[in-house]
Amino acid sequence: MKNRSLKYLFIALLVGTFSSCNDSLDVEPKNKVPAEAVLSDPNGIRSYLANMYYELPVEDFVYFPRAGFNARGNTGSLSLSQYGLEAIHSEWPNWNEFNNQWWTRGYQLNRDINLLEESVAKVNFSEAERSAIEGEIAFLRAYTYYGFVKRYGGVPIITENQNYSTDWESLRVPRNTEKETWDFVLAQLDIAFDKLPETRNSLDETKRRATKWAAAGLKSRVALHAASVAKYWNRAPLSGQAVDAGLVGMPATEANRYYQEAIKASETVINSGRFGLYMANPSSPQEAARNYQKLFMQPNDAMTEVLFMKGYGHAGGPLAHDYDGWNNPNQTGEGFPHVGRTNPVLELVDRYENYEKPGEASPIVTTADGQVQLGDFNPSADYIRFSSPEEIFQGKDARFFASIIHPGAVWKGTEIVIQGGVIRPDGSALTTKGSVEHKGTTYHAYGAATSNQYSGFDGTPNMTRTGFLLKKFLDEGASINTWLQSTTDFIDIRYAEILLNYAEAVAESGQGNADLASQGLNAVRRRAGHTVSIPLTLENVLRERAVELAFENKEYWDLIRRRTYHQIFNNYVKTALVPMLDLRGEEPAYIYIRKRVPGAQPNTFPERDYYSGIPGVNNNGVIQNPQH
Amino acid sequence: MKSIKTLSIALASLFLLGGCELNELDNYEGPNATINGGIYDKETGELIQQDIINGMQIEYIEHGFENPQTQYVVVKNDGTYRNNLMFAGDYTIRPVRGNFVPVEPEEIVVKGNTVKNFEVQPYIRVRNARIERQENKIVATFNLDQTVTNNVSRIGLFAHQEPNVGAPLNTVSSVVNLNEVTNDVTEYRLEINLEAHSGSLKPGNKYYFRVGALVDAPEAKYNYAPPVLIEL
Repeated sequence: MKNRSLKYLFIALLVGTFSSCNDSLDVEPKNKVPAEAVLSDPNGIRSYLANMYYELPVEDFVYFPRAGFNARGNTGSLSLSQYGLEAIHSEWPNWNEFNNQWWTRGYQLNRDINLLEESVAKVNFSEAERSAIEGEIAFLRAYTYYGFVKRYGGVPIITENQNYSTDWESLRVPRNTEKETWDFVLAQLDIAFDKLPETRNSLDETKRRATKWAAAGLKSRVALHAASVAKYWNRAPLSGQAVDAGLVGMPATEANRYYQEAIKASETVINSGRFGLYMANPSSPQEAARNYQKLFMQPNDAMTEVLFMKGYGHAGGPLAHDYDGWNNPNQTGEGFPHVGRTNPVLELVDRYENYEKPGEASPIVTTADGQVQLGDFNPSADYIRFSSPEEIFQGKDARFFASIIHPGAVWKGTEIVIQGGVIRPDGSALTTKGSVEHKGTTYHAYGAATSNQYSGFDGTPNMTRTGFLLKKFLDEGASINTWLQSTTDFIDIRYAEILLNYAEAVAESGQGNADLASQGLNAVRRRAGHTVSIPLTLENVLRERAVELAFENKEYWDLIRRRTYHQIFNNYVKTALVPMLDLRGEEPAYIYIRKRVPGAQPNTFPERDYYSGIPGVNNNGVIQNPQH
Repeated sequence: MKSIKTLSIALASLFLLGGCELNELDNYEGPNATINGGIYDKETGELIQQDIINGMQIEYIEHGFENPQTQYVVVKNDGTYRNNLMFAGDYTIRPVRGNFVPVEPEEIVVKGNTVKNFEVQPYIRVRNARIERQENKIVATFNLDQTVTNNVSRIGLFAHQEPNVGAPLNTVSSVVNLNEVTNDVTEYRLEINLEAHSGSLKPGNKYYFRVGALVDAPEAKYNYAPPVLIEL
């Protein structure tokens, strides 16, 4: 009897085990909306679409090469501008991780776009709305593949949703060539331009959602990038299987076609008459500086210049950012735990012109012989003596004062003290924490007695190590004492960039309208308070681009696309300007030392990193980039 | 009853069998061979000086795998290399991105302690290099014997505490852009002023100095003379 019940129990158990395909556990979760419900309803599709914009690879306040896009929290604020010749990081001056990844997130976004397209086809939209959404899909796709091609070269172009299958081979898509990928992006932007509306329901929506003009503006940027890669590939040629197959690299003969595309797209924007520079004719450099500062602090007041922007909101919530927190000077840190991170370097400061010498970079001269050599303090050198810390910057381009906080600058009503040491009356230098008594007055090495009264050089991460701090994009009216308090919007594509793209494409290729290009170049300068026009030369265009678009995360890609990264960063150390209070004369005076950034080691850009390595090649089966 | 017992035992052992592989330890053998050798000038038989940082590499692919990864070894400054963690087997091997005329890949068998030397044609031979202190200067003189018709784009004198000194690793350098075809008669001269660099090249310390020349060819690296140690 006992045996029999055991037997039945055992049979029941086995039957239970082998017939477990019972749907009593297939419960729809109550806290999630099923995909079909979202993607079968026009309103669902609209909200799904909104998330695509969030996921776009816009290199903004929450983009950090290591942490990726939409990175909040303790990212370290290792931003793109600290990679090139714009700035250096106050805590990690030797950060040089070039091989940063976006592959997996990028293809997730690509899949979302494909899924959207598949669903849109099945849902009832009016013809007009359907066409507009198709244009929007093309824009999103172009933006996504631009994110791919500039990082990886040619990538697999997948425009149809792949269904899960155990037939792995069908899921493995080989890479397209770099040229095919660039051409794909440009073709998508043509579709976008055809189908997208010129404006949307409100000004806010027009500037934040794809329009014809966002598509044309992006095309201007993309085509210029492609043209530069083709033209300058030979500055840093690579070899290997990926090169032989054309997966990276393009022949120089392609350059002019891409320059022509950049010219056409830029002209479309310029000739539309819909855009202009914000406050194009200032009456003085001081006014120009205020206008230029406001353009980035309150971009919503400068919509005439905006082609495409990314919005932030809800201080304290996940849609705010921490740009102000990370970058305020130590003196106005207001309790945010990590400040003063982005330190502009002297190379950038030198490039800003002086109004007295239009059309040439104006390096900071610190010695009477007018030479601009680097080196430590030398007691026998003939340093120029200044009575105030800011005097040395007199006459510099308004954009310098609007983008960078310099020693002695007034920020949020506070004079920012940046000083690297004191020269004692006997000619010896005090550069460590301490003070010097002289004629009854105490002079502190870093300009003040306690560390909350100064913002530089004591070697801690909240202090600048270059002599400069970031000002562009920072909200001078805001008080930031905790995380996620910044809601400043980011202009991704603005009219000044289009003018400079146009000028560069014309200067590089000799195609297009040289007068129009020169007018554009000089309009950008006039807005910055310049009154003398300069000729359209490549050198002038590149200098203008460096100062006008500084900290907008463009310079890194300029170094990449023009293949100058490895030429500049070859055993290279970035430089700083160190103000010292000199007690040797009758009256104390400020002198300045041009030197390598303290703590920074030589940095070399490996040529292979013009392209990032592709993760998971063993599984996805694609050909790896050279030397990765 | 009996059949059920048999069935359940059979099922149980089936599950156990399936699980076995997970319990097995990695019992593959470790690397069991080594390879070493050098990059030699095929004319003079001398080792060719290299850079470690961003220098040439030797790429090798092991046969017998589907979709094999390319592996590489870095070559030392003096032109020799060694990898003591190789698996015995057949390989395709090729030195790449070097300071010599590119060579074709070779098939080799690695077994035990394998010696594999590469005989190549350096782009440039830096001859008669003399580096010495003359008062407050380090002066280098040398001739260039280029074996290809390309321009020589740059020549340089480099200084560093490490013997690995070169274009990618130096504290002070003196580089001149030549951009011309050279002949082996011209004597080139480069100088480093010690006074101007007293912060980086401190008196009393020893530093390595090395001269090199870079040919204008895709992915080319500097050709060097051996480094010289000088006490300042």
